[in-house]
Amino acid sequence: METFINPKSLFHLLLLPCLLLYSSIAYNSSPVEAAMHTNNWAVLVCTSRFWFNYRHMANTLSLYRTVKRLGIPDERIILMLADDMACNTRNKYPAQVFNNENHRLNLYGDNVEVDYRGYEVTVENFLRVLTGRHETAVPRSKRLLSDEGSHILLYMTGHGGDEFLKFQDSEELQSHDLADAVKQMKEKHRFKELLIMVDTCQAATLFNQLQSPGVLAIGSSMKGENSYSHHLDSDVGVSVVDRFTYYTLAFFERLNIYDNASLSSLFSSYNPSLLMSTTYYRKDLYKRRLEEVPVTNFFGSVMETIHTDAAYKALSRRNSGRFEDEMSLDQSVHHIKRRMLIKVNDGDEIHDINPELLQGEEGASKCPWSTFRNKFQKAENVDSLLNYGLVAMIPLLVISTWLVQ
Amino acid sequence: MAETKEKSLSDEKPKPRVRPIVRLGIFLISHSFHVSVVCCTAGVLALFLLPVLAKNTYISENALMPGSASPMLSNQHVSDGNRLVKDLTNPNSKSSETGIESHKIIAQYMLDLGAEVSFHKFHPQMNQFHPLHFFSSPDSGKIQENYSCSSYGINTVGIIRAPHGDGKEAIVLVTPYNALKSGFGEALSLGIAYSVFSLLTQVTWLAKDIIWLVADSQYGEYAAVAAWLREYQTPKFSSLSTPNAEMCPDVNNLFELKGHSISGSKFSNSFRRAGTMASALVLKVRDQNEQFEDTISIYAEASNGQMPNLDLINVVNYLAVHRQGLRVNVEKLWSLLNSSWLKSLGEIFESLAKVAKSLYPKWKFGIPATEYVEGTATLASSLYYQALGVPTGPHGAFRDYQVDAITLEISPKFSLDKVWRNDILLRGGRLIEGVIRSVNNLLEKFHQSFFLYLLTSPSKFVSVGVYMIAFAFLIAPLPMVAASLYVDANSSSNCSKGDSSTPSAITDTDEHSIAIRSWRWLNSAKLVFIVHLWGAIVSLLPYFISQIPDCSPTTSFMIWVLLSILSLLTLNSVLASPLACAKATQEKEWALVKSVTISSVFIGLGLMSVINFATAEIGALLMVPMCLLAQPLKLDVRAGTLRSFCRMICNLVLGHIAFPPAALFLLKGMLDGFGNANVGDFWMWVESLWAWNSATYLFIGMVQLPCWVLCISILFHTC
Repeated sequence: METFINPKSLFHLLLLPCLLLYSSIAYNSSPVEAAMHTNNWAVLVCTSRFWFNYRHMANTLSLYRTVKRLGIPDERIILMLADDMACNTRNKYPAQVFNNENHRLNLYGDNVEVDYRGYEVTVENFLRVLTGRHETAVPRSKRLLSDEGSHILLYMTGHGGDEFLKFQDSEELQSHDLADAVKQMKEKHRFKELLIMVDTCQAATLFNQLQSPGVLAIGSSMKGENSYSHHLDSDVGVSVVDRFTYYTLAFFERLNIYDNASLSSLFSSYNPSLLMSTTYYRKDLYKRRLEEVPVTNFFGSVMETIHTDAAYKALSRRNSGRFEDEMSLDQSVHHIKRRMLIKVNDGDEIHDINPELLQGEEGASKCPWSTFRNKFQKAENVDSLLNYGLVAMIPLLVISTWLVQ
Repeated sequence: MAETKEKSLSDEKPKPRVRPIVRLGIFLISHSFHVSVVCCTAGVLALFLLPVLAKNTYISENALMPGSASPMLSNQHVSDGNRLVKDLTNPNSKSSETGIESHKIIAQYMLDLGAEVSFHKFHPQMNQFHPLHFFSSPDSGKIQENYSCSSYGINTVGIIRAPHGDGKEAIVLVTPYNALKSGFGEALSLGIAYSVFSLLTQVTWLAKDIIWLVADSQYGEYAAVAAWLREYQTPKFSSLSTPNAEMCPDVNNLFELKGHSISGSKFSNSFRRAGTMASALVLKVRDQNEQFEDTISIYAEASNGQMPNLDLINVVNYLAVHRQGLRVNVEKLWSLLNSSWLKSLGEIFESLAKVAKSLYPKWKFGIPATEYVEGTATLASSLYYQALGVPTGPHGAFRDYQVDAITLEISPKFSLDKVWRNDILLRGGRLIEGVIRSVNNLLEKFHQSFFLYLLTSPSKFVSVGVYMIAFAFLIAPLPMVAASLYVDANSSSNCSKGDSSTPSAITDTDEHSIAIRSWRWLNSAKLVFIVHLWGAIVSLLPYFISQIPDCSPTTSFMIWVLLSILSLLTLNSVLASPLACAKATQEKEWALVKSVTISSVFIGLGLMSVINFATAEIGALLMVPMCLLAQPLKLDVRAGTLRSFCRMICNLVLGHIAFPPAALFLLKGMLDGFGNANVGDFWMWVESLWAWNSATYLFIGMVQLPCWVLCISILFHTC
């Protein structure tokens, strides 16, 4: 905050303490209504144990790899795996997991961070992650630290039935539980939009009780239908991927981080005859049109870091310029393309929250501090700033001594 | 008569409302004759319907996933196996008299693969009758006398540890091998096992340890496996006092040699163990080949009709048929296959099914007549071997420790050229590999599928819920008939007394006489009890007879019969004589005796059906008609009608058939032909029963024989 000192103006310098006070009050008290999409989270859950459920873990790990590739960093992915297939003694390829019989892609590579594993994956822990009611000792890395600007992808796979999903061969998550957890999340402003994707038998029934706005849900099968595995790896001796997930992955493999495919194109890419089940998506709680929502809104990361001066309502991002991009985890990204993406997203967002922005502009013209800021931006470095400050102190000292005398 | 009595009773006092269930009971008891005819017919019919009602087997346990992994056994492993076969059939290896050389070869081969190897010496235990050891687990602290260095067997045991496993579980592969006179089949079975073993030392997917037991079968396959299992499951801690096999120079010699040739290897002198056994496979290759194609026979029956989990059979069947193209056999009664009456019965069922289908298209329960005949033959053999209670192979030893095990016998189609041999090694090996990989996937014991079932073909089964119906029908009339006879006997004596005396006399002594009369059945119960006591004594007699040295089966049997008759007479004179006079005076005494007999038979059959269903079923088929029909011959002769004549004939025939030795004679005749039947056979059969701790022996001694004696006594009752 001391960067707001305008070294060139003595008068302004005297006002410094007041300015500080004002700005801090403004920042803390500013309510962010109808927050914009600022960050992405993913909760990926494999709920079933046992070697013969290898494919569920492979499903989840594949999704993990995909969302990571599309730009969600590890610290914003909560990965829950109910069993350890990679180190199962029956695994022909120790410490490796594949989702295809060609074995080209090892999903269990070096940088897989499993947040909840084995018997930690319980209904209780799952609900705690969603609602954020953790015990104090739970580290930040195991928490879903989303806010009202978050888009959350919730992917679940396992064995399910009519309005339930089995966890660990011993307990069940019911559709009521899920709906309740989502409702709590909404009330606690833990998400802006939530995409629930479930690959299990009778997945559609799991969404029956959802009520919270901003929730979009897609399931692999309708009530009374089974979801089937895609193919068997005769080398490993188990089925390695489920159909719904396989075709989801196939869709995403064609995409890169800058593609602008819409959710509706994803949803229409499922072919019931290939899936051997009918996908179901529930969008009555979701306001935006699916054609206009890029899949990267959930599966990728559009992370916007807002300057602290966003505290001033006036300073919306049109004024503050570019958003800082934090997608740098993916090393292969070309800089120019990144910019393009941001522009694209920019357009979207601007279209979306236009009235807000207009209001912001109006505020900007009223606010005198923006001019200070512009001037401040010209201050090249800290050294010169310091020097100016010291020089400014001298008259102050002189005046004060004069007053004392 | 009871009916009329009921009517008169209800006419007299209509006031007290009788509860519906009581009325139903009374109705059934009063119509017990018709009920018993209907029930018995239904029971027999239901038994013959079982092949039609059989369901297709299915893999019930998710974790098994048979055939989901492609076999990894390659020609390299096959040629390894071939090498062992050659070495074993090489005449040089048979030079040693004890066959130690071939054991050494096998051990060396195992060691070369990197497996842990140990020898297990055992002394064959003579099967002895221990009257108190029925149903008890094999004894660990059995004192073994008469060790002689000349008679011992050597089991060679190789163990592969699962590379990433925790060593808590194991799968056992058993190949019986007689080093002294091994056929080519045995060597080939070793070759198959070795090729699988050599593959399993290389794979990374093992979750359970693999134990390969080469069982020395010179004292019988079962004895060797049982000895090894006893040592494995119940370690002995008091080996100091008992003379040890290590004292024999020959065995010492063997170990010294081994120690020299392979120092620092994984060979060990001590007994080696792996984890709990998940399942066991016994592999055999038959020498003779009459089959037209490669077949594999599955033997599953263990002692007292216990079966391994159906899933194990399903896995083997699925892999053999759908992966390796082998034909799977289970035991059949071949004599039934050509019987024309069965064929016509099958045709009747088939046409009935067609009619039913034309009436309502969703009824599809018919099976072709030929399939029906085959199913019945398989079912009959399944029943027979379960009823016998004697294991059909070395797998029976595992069942005593609750380990699921089966014997697979491969019978290849044609002779011994090399291409064929490689082919059978490859296919047999891949089958074994597939089964092991499938069982390896298991997370728990076999528990999902059935343990109580009868097979009608390798892929069809009748579960306990279905086959109990036939048995229930058969024994349902017993309590009703018993009750009706009791009521009948009481009321008839009532009536006769009432006729002879004046009504006033009745009122005087009414209560007293009724009280006495209602306890009259105790006399009959005493008689029945005496006969059952005698049955117990007869069952114990063989223990003493078997102590007599140098006794041929025929003479033993004769002694047994003589002693039995003697004891019956003695018991009768000592215990039953005071009542004999009283018995003679009372009318309808035989009805009471029959009533109590039927009750005791009902209890005996009910108990037996829990222990060994098949025995109870066969026993019920013989005993229920005999008990129900039994009536003094004198009465029938006196009546002189066609009906009583028929009954007399039936009684006589049943009286012959139901006598246990006669029943066995008939059964043997049906199986093997009547030519070579012998009086001593029964003794030998009984000996084998008690050697295997078969509950069937107890059933025969304590239920069937007393029942037969009682029925005969009713037949010759003087009234």
